[in-house]
Amino acid sequence: MAEQITFIIGSILALGAGFIVVTNRNLFHGALALMISFLGVAAIYLSLDAGFLAAAQLLIYIGAISILIIFAIMLTRRMMQTTEDPFNSQFLLALAASVTVFAILFSAIVYVWPLTASNSVPLAAKTAVADAVLQDTVVNLGSAFVGADGYVIPFELASILLLAAMVGAIIVAWPKPEDVA
Amino acid sequence: MEFVTPTINILIVLPVLLVAGGGALLMLLELFMAEERVKQWAPTLAIIVLALAFLQTIGLWGQTHTTFTPEGSSPMVILDNFATFLNVIFLLTGFFTVLISVNYLPRVGLNRSEYYMLMLFSLSGMMLMGMANDLILVFLALEVLSIPLYILAGLSRPRPESEESAMKYFFLGAFSSAIFVFGIALTYGATGSTALPAVLAGVSNGGALALAGVAMMLVGFGFKVAAAPFHMWTPDVYEGAPTVVTAFMSVGAKVGGFAAMLRVFVSAFGSLGQTWVPAVAVIAAITLIIGNVVAIVQPNIKRMLAYSSIAHAGYILMAVAASVNSPDGVSAALFYMFAYLFTNLGAFAIAIAAERKLGEGVMLDDYKGLAKRSPLLALAMAYFMLSLTGIPPTGGFSGKFFVFRATLEAGLVWLAVVGVITSVVSGYYYLRVVYLMYMYDGEGELHTKPALLTAVALTVLATLVLGLLPGAWYEITKQAALQGLQVLAGG
Repeated sequence: MAEQITFIIGSILALGAGFIVVTNRNLFHGALALMISFLGVAAIYLSLDAGFLAAAQLLIYIGAISILIIFAIMLTRRMMQTTEDPFNSQFLLALAASVTVFAILFSAIVYVWPLTASNSVPLAAKTAVADAVLQDTVVNLGSAFVGADGYVIPFELASILLLAAMVGAIIVAWPKPEDVA
Repeated sequence: MEFVTPTINILIVLPVLLVAGGGALLMLLELFMAEERVKQWAPTLAIIVLALAFLQTIGLWGQTHTTFTPEGSSPMVILDNFATFLNVIFLLTGFFTVLISVNYLPRVGLNRSEYYMLMLFSLSGMMLMGMANDLILVFLALEVLSIPLYILAGLSRPRPESEESAMKYFFLGAFSSAIFVFGIALTYGATGSTALPAVLAGVSNGGALALAGVAMMLVGFGFKVAAAPFHMWTPDVYEGAPTVVTAFMSVGAKVGGFAAMLRVFVSAFGSLGQTWVPAVAVIAAITLIIGNVVAIVQPNIKRMLAYSSIAHAGYILMAVAASVNSPDGVSAALFYMFAYLFTNLGAFAIAIAAERKLGEGVMLDDYKGLAKRSPLLALAMAYFMLSLTGIPPTGGFSGKFFVFRATLEAGLVWLAVVGVITSVVSGYYYLRVVYLMYMYDGEGELHTKPALLTAVALTVLATLVLGLLPGAWYEITKQAALQGLQVLAGG
């Protein structure tokens, strides 16, 4: 019961705030709503016994990324003032397309995919994950990331990706030649 | 914790490590050397790195290895003849790109040392596209391939065309990546794994969820290889990016996309073939028609080559659609990409020689009278145009022959007919370049330096060899294709 309440509150926070993010005219308010949406996702992680992910979500997404977004908005003053209409002339077309895709995916997940009794376990019947396993999450995650018998190659590839993105950000943000002169 | 000896077979990923490490080395060099000296040495260093990786790759031909196996799962990296063959294509792409960039970049004032570094990073992503045996790795490799290209497209900032190119490529690329990763998530939901052998085992029972995953991944790959109707970004991005970058991405990004697409669709989703083959066949037909017909009205050689590259994606997609029901599908695709590499890079090399300044001298009218100004270059350009059209004896003809044959073998007769008709249409805009070069007089300058001429000579030679002796090379692609699928099905 407690799990269900956490899940419902988390979902309402994540989806409701997410709706505000895409519909709000003020970019700054959108960024604030994004933080609430992240908070809802963190609550869902908690209800799934993924404590480490929930903490990482709080620290990184709310603590770092959202703050960065807000800084970026505040530093570009023009964006702070604009209250752009998030809907443009293609709004109806886009709505129809996304509703169609949503309907197809929703029906694929809910109705067509055989949710037989064997692979749907009632929440109450689920065996609780042992505390020892939960406490070792960070250790397991760490060794899975850098262990040879783990996901070291995607991990290292991600570091190349971030390096390239960082260099690219500097190239793009560097003052244009005429600005320097 | 007890110490466990790592069970990594480092030799397999050594070519990738060399290329990525070379990129990192180029970046670090700037800390210790004057910027001018780094710029002077960067092309040489890049060539050395590529040559070392090439030798290592050649040495791995005929071998099959897997490595990086997470506990209780399948290996993440697989190196078989399929991957080795594609690595050869990528390394040659890098090699020719360096040759055509060496003099072009200083000439148009874009000589930044980051250029070669980003190119090498992108290459390492392309190489892993062919070697990835896990959807997580496919996605990361795709991003490592793409992100340096977004930046390279905008390298001639603040030119508005270049900024537009980078912006469009970035937004649509990010959007397609999101669709692609959603497809991976749905596939994972349907099969319970991202490892390709496990996906293969579970995908037939995945129901509609697996089909939705396959469809979204098809859209993601369609964006990357510029297949219609996901091709909208291509002309603007190709036109606005510096021409050397356009050359690099027209071959590298496309072959990279097809590398992972073949591995994922033909082997892991092979059992769903009856569902996705008609979809791919229809996309191939639309791509062929749009690419070849719209190319006719392009006045700019870069835009024309952009639509031409869309059309060629269509021919390769024909081979992909054929690869489930025909044993020749994958090898035809590999052969076609091998021939396309030389022909397209050669054509771009000449476009680069004819480009006076950044974005000047790229109109078709600028090719008037090229035959009088430089008979040999005009002859080479004419030969590349014949190869792109598919007229013998060229590599392009051999590639089209194998693709059409595989399509007929697979029973997709209507698709083969579309392919032949659009090839005839393509003759109009390719041969118009030849016509302009030989039948008119015109002014213009040509920038021919030894490095660029070497690239032109080598690509002409390779196209000629592939046109005259297609059988021997086709045997090689056949070995590359067969082993790739056998290993995966067994694993």
